[in-house]
Amino acid sequence: MTDLLTPFHYEYMVKSILVSGLIGGVCAFLSCFITLKGWSLMGDALSHAIVPGVSLAWMLGLPFSVGAFVAGILAALGMGWVKHNSRLREDAVIGVVFTSFFALGLLLLSLYPSNLNLRTIIFGNILAISDPDILQVLIISAVAILILGLKWRDLLLYCFDEGHARSIGLNTRFLHFLLLALLSATAVAALQTVGACLVVAMLVTPGATAYLLTDRFGRMLGIATLTGVLCGVVGAYASYFLNGSTGGCIVVLQTVIFLVALAFAPKHGLLAARAQRRAAASA
Amino acid sequence: MPAAIPPLAIEVTDVTVAYANGNVALHNATFALKAGTICALVGVNGSGKSTLFKAIMGFLRPAKGEVRIAGRSVEDSRKQKLVAYVPQAEEVDWTFPVSVWDVVMMGRYGHMNFLRIPRAEDKRVAEECLERVGMGGLKDRQIGELSGGQRKRVFLARALAQKGRIMLLDEPFTGVDVQTETAIIELLRALREEGHIILVSTHNLGSVPEFCDQVVLVNRTVLAFGPTEIVFTEDNLTRAFGGVLRQFHFEHSTIQEHDGRTVKLLTDDERPLVFGKDGHLEYTDRQGRENLVKKREMEVGE
Repeated sequence: MTDLLTPFHYEYMVKSILVSGLIGGVCAFLSCFITLKGWSLMGDALSHAIVPGVSLAWMLGLPFSVGAFVAGILAALGMGWVKHNSRLREDAVIGVVFTSFFALGLLLLSLYPSNLNLRTIIFGNILAISDPDILQVLIISAVAILILGLKWRDLLLYCFDEGHARSIGLNTRFLHFLLLALLSATAVAALQTVGACLVVAMLVTPGATAYLLTDRFGRMLGIATLTGVLCGVVGAYASYFLNGSTGGCIVVLQTVIFLVALAFAPKHGLLAARAQRRAAASA
Repeated sequence: MPAAIPPLAIEVTDVTVAYANGNVALHNATFALKAGTICALVGVNGSGKSTLFKAIMGFLRPAKGEVRIAGRSVEDSRKQKLVAYVPQAEEVDWTFPVSVWDVVMMGRYGHMNFLRIPRAEDKRVAEECLERVGMGGLKDRQIGELSGGQRKRVFLARALAQKGRIMLLDEPFTGVDVQTETAIIELLRALREEGHIILVSTHNLGSVPEFCDQVVLVNRTVLAFGPTEIVFTEDNLTRAFGGVLRQFHFEHSTIQEHDGRTVKLLTDDERPLVFGKDGHLEYTDRQGRENLVKKREMEVGE
């Protein structure tokens, strides 16, 4: 019994459990919009594209999150620009732009080492997170929660029916940019927890899981956020005993929950679908 | 007295829309509609119907000419939320986790505050609009669980809830049962009585004279516009559709005198299927079917 409480005796474990839970929740909340808008690939791209910003921010003496955020926005604008001005399909544009940014990031980080080393950025290292970095994560999370809390209905309408949103006078260009900015910002926050490679899982899996479990957006937000927080907390806690990568633990846990939902979801699960087919055939 | 409100009207003057690739989707389009009208927008696919809709909603800026709504620019009219749009069924993601009630409430967003929290008035209007399209009992359904006709009604209710006085409907009768079609037409007639302007794009030529008092014929420009009985002529339709329109000329077909007025014509907007007297199948062309014609003549002789 006392063994189970040992992680809480270490300050760094308590910090990383709390920060993982917070980031897991914020990413999960946003993931509902990302999956419904069909931006999963965009999430993957942005989470890689923020890497050069980390290095440049270090050189300029800025907080790493500022540089990363700017790099993310530049990548998103770059994708928009190339797509608009060329005949390429969107997936090709995303592929070209985000790998260019990521490669530039690798190059910069190998030439000019920063306070965050390459390994941390790519695979995450929440156990070693510094207090100033925690502060950055807290600020990003607070701003993201505030904006999502105030504007989620507008963002939902934008994801559902852009034409209608425009016709009733909503500024859809602003909403598009807002969603991109939120995506970049949360990707930056999640960078230290799970690393650039796995950020996209935090930004997609909880939303995808919740989407299988409900037909109501409100409930979808609740389920996704709950799984996000739970996986963050339990994953970080379990990584102490497994002595394994925290990011790996969190994302594997999210995947397990996703697979359970995929199989057993009451209406949209594989088993339910099979039962419905059988019922329809015998009727 | 508030400043005089200009009367409701749509004026499209000499509008040319070109896309970035240099394609001119619409050139020199001109027409005008006054309050209290149902107008059909008729033309083949790719004739510029959607472009015209987008220009009226201000989604596309004309390269030349202008659209004015109630005497104002399109941007101003959008702030007044004058124009409501009912999308085609294909444009909607039906797996999206929203209920009928959520969708109708989206029609009220323009009237709500910054946080979009519905007030009692918004709920009352949404309730009333759902009742008006006969969907009051289904408000908790997820939109994907609805039939084709019900889906159309939900979006109609959203447009009503928006309280715009101009309504644009894109192909409202595709994939809709006859009962819903009748109900929609009834509703549009009632809105016309209330002074709305309703612009309906449709392929369904047969229904146009039934409920539209005005017609705009388009084929990359406005070919003709005005009252249905004047504009909806064979000549104009041939111009609008060219060779695309499917034709069935009774005098060239296998139908004969003795079929009289018992001829039954079935169509789903494709080639019509024609049955003569006693349910005989009839063909478009007599040529090559001389034997059949002879056989039919014998039957009459008996």
